[in-house]
Amino acid sequence: MKCYAYIICILALCAVIPTVAQENGGRLSGSLETNANFFIRDSLIGAANIPQYDRQKFGGEGWLNLNYNNWGFDFGLRYDFFNNSNLLNPTGSYTDQGIGMWYIRKKIDRLGFEAGYIYDQVGSGIIFRSFEQRPLLIDNALYGLKVDYDISDNWKIKGFTGRQKQQFDTYDSVIRGLNIEGFVQGDSTSNWTMAPGFGVVARALDDASMNSLVATLNLYPEEDLFEPRYNSYAFTLYNTLSKGIVSWYVEGAYKTDDQLNDPFGVIVRDGQEIIGDKFIFEPGSVLYSSLSIAPPKWGITLEAKRTENFSFRTRPQAQLNRGLVNFLPPMARINTYRLNARYNAATQELAEMAFQADVRYAPSRKLSFNVNYSHIDDLGGTLLYRELFTEVLYKHKRLWTFTGGLQIQNYNQERFEFKPGVPIVETVIPYFDFLYKLDRSHNIRFEGQYMATGDDDKAGVKQDYGDWVFGLVEVSLGRNWTLVASDMFNIDPGKNSPIDDSGERQSLHYPRFDVYYTTGPTRLALSYVKQVEGVVCTGGICRLEPAFSGVKFSTNTSF
Amino acid sequence: MIKKYLSISFLASFLLLGFACEEVAPVLNPTDGGSGSGGPVSEQKRQVVIEEFTGVRCVNCPAASEAIAALVGVYGDRLVPVAIHAGFFAQPYPESADAGLETSTGGAILTFLGEPLGFPTAVVNRRNFDGEENRQVVQNTWAGYVAEELAQDPTVRIDLNSAYNDATGNVDIEADLYIDQNIDFEDVRLTVYITESNITATQLTPAGIDENYKHKHAFRTVVTATEGDIINENLTAGSVINRNLSVTLDPSWVAAECDIVAIVHQGGAVLDVIQAHHIPVVE
Repeated sequence: MKCYAYIICILALCAVIPTVAQENGGRLSGSLETNANFFIRDSLIGAANIPQYDRQKFGGEGWLNLNYNNWGFDFGLRYDFFNNSNLLNPTGSYTDQGIGMWYIRKKIDRLGFEAGYIYDQVGSGIIFRSFEQRPLLIDNALYGLKVDYDISDNWKIKGFTGRQKQQFDTYDSVIRGLNIEGFVQGDSTSNWTMAPGFGVVARALDDASMNSLVATLNLYPEEDLFEPRYNSYAFTLYNTLSKGIVSWYVEGAYKTDDQLNDPFGVIVRDGQEIIGDKFIFEPGSVLYSSLSIAPPKWGITLEAKRTENFSFRTRPQAQLNRGLVNFLPPMARINTYRLNARYNAATQELAEMAFQADVRYAPSRKLSFNVNYSHIDDLGGTLLYRELFTEVLYKHKRLWTFTGGLQIQNYNQERFEFKPGVPIVETVIPYFDFLYKLDRSHNIRFEGQYMATGDDDKAGVKQDYGDWVFGLVEVSLGRNWTLVASDMFNIDPGKNSPIDDSGERQSLHYPRFDVYYTTGPTRLALSYVKQVEGVVCTGGICRLEPAFSGVKFSTNTSF
Repeated sequence: MIKKYLSISFLASFLLLGFACEEVAPVLNPTDGGSGSGGPVSEQKRQVVIEEFTGVRCVNCPAASEAIAALVGVYGDRLVPVAIHAGFFAQPYPESADAGLETSTGGAILTFLGEPLGFPTAVVNRRNFDGEENRQVVQNTWAGYVAEELAQDPTVRIDLNSAYNDATGNVDIEADLYIDQNIDFEDVRLTVYITESNITATQLTPAGIDENYKHKHAFRTVVTATEGDIINENLTAGSVINRNLSVTLDPSWVAAECDIVAIVHQGGAVLDVIQAHHIPVVE
């Protein structure tokens, strides 16, 4: 009821805003994003057996965001709608609509406050981060109140409390936190600065979640029993030290004993070991550091992270991307090319030791090199992921640009996807990207990648889906139109490639055609897509990322 | 300066966040689930059905099956388990296709109860619990929801009787529903399943493919309509509703391992189960 009262107030405010805005110089801005998916069943590639393919045929979602500033206040409101959407659950259908977010912010001298749905973080997010990631429908906004105070020009303290958003509702556990951040610099003769900070976040588990946890624990053998706690506290201390060309960030976080879900837990019943979801009760820690050095023509970044039992969720029963209170920074390169991005190292909450080095060298404006290396083990020394990525970029007289390189990966599919007995997937991917400027507003771009996959000796075929080849042509016609055609082809099928009626593994094409129209801040996209399916098993449960076959239409604009 | 402000923040943390080493801990009662037997119908307590969705290619599903076995170990006949092989992970291995675990009816039940985010998954008493996205809930919540449902009193008691003809494989089922309290839901239905245990068939496990895996409580068929037979009679306290049903078991099923599962539930948009009960086909 209170919630509706707030919404009515906000809507009433918005209703009078246009007239008042003009009189008092307020500013109204906003954005709109919509996706419409038309599903075309194709059982050959696995685009079938979900409601959208079988009966609904259409699914879509949209977000209308409005912001208004006046009288020293900031107001925000977002209307979300989901119609037979497969974004929340890729194999299901989600329909709902309503006010997805609202906020009111005000600054009174040194004191500021924000009420409503709050997006914020402490440090790098290791103990707390509320954020939105629409492609995965993550929206972890904190529904509550935040108050901050400027202790001095360079020091600020903030406190917040609330419950985490769950679609158009909230989880019941209460989160509260405190964060102090500062900025310190040497005297006028020195060139160093520091940005230290300290934060603490606590989660008080709701009674229903605790009752559910207790009921589960009651079934455990005596040796696995523990006394659960309602309150869990996470602390972090961090600092960025900058001096000249060097910037060094270091953060250490600790979490008190908390009930966690171990997807690889072992329960012994009647002498038989059962591997699967099991609650454990452990303290957690994360150490993370990033060192950046930027001498002329060079850019060097070194990162390291050690994670132990640092799953921090609004309730321990939440899995996959649900109920995340914090965000652990990924330690592998975020790849963008289609085949380079096929295997990703999902962040491990319970045990991870990771290093990453990124070196860029640009001897001239025309030429640059990039080498990235990442290595991720669990705390027992088992390899989880290793990647070497190289890139050369050459620009020729503003006429053409060539980007090319090689990527080598080792991906522990058994651990990331919980596929017992499968070998570590080994890939070698040469790639190129060639952009040619026909004139000032007309470009043509070619992209190509080949993924060579290692052999699965036990199965006698290539690993996973085997070898792939990908090609793309993109033509930009003036400022408004862009046409793209691409195809991903399973050139040498592997163990998991589809098998036809004769028992042969099939080499399938996954074509895609896109038309983009851009005018001012508005971008419209119409695409015909066939996309390969994948299976991901993490957090103790397996999830099918289904193949896509159909037409997509999307709109993005701001005003 | 840094020391001063960090000291302030430490102090404020303790004050504002209410740190305390002590809190009143919940009470654990290992394996204290109450009665382990359904008992005679006159003493029948609330019974709960757990419809687990599983698959032979789901590596996490054997652990879920063991979790249900642990629940059955505590609650006995008060828990009515059904393992429905449906969805992507239920596609049979070529060497075990004859086991017939995956059925089109199972797929229809999955569609009827809603698609899960992943497998294993289960629907407990067909309820959409507060805080859950839909009826499908993950394994580490089952015990809590089962306990929550069992804590209620039954408004209906179900009495089942079975007459099995070994020669024809025919099973005559008599279901009597004893109404203890007035039920004024607009749409109340009876659904009856046949399940079978100890089916040997291939299953993916964390240790690899197990060709001799014993599947328990596997859904075989539905005797009523998939969405349940509508009960048109007035459900007033003291009345008894009688239904007689019949089904012929597939010759490949072992009658001695089969169960009859009866579920009285709401129809329409709300599917909440009012009472469940099960008995062996061969008593």
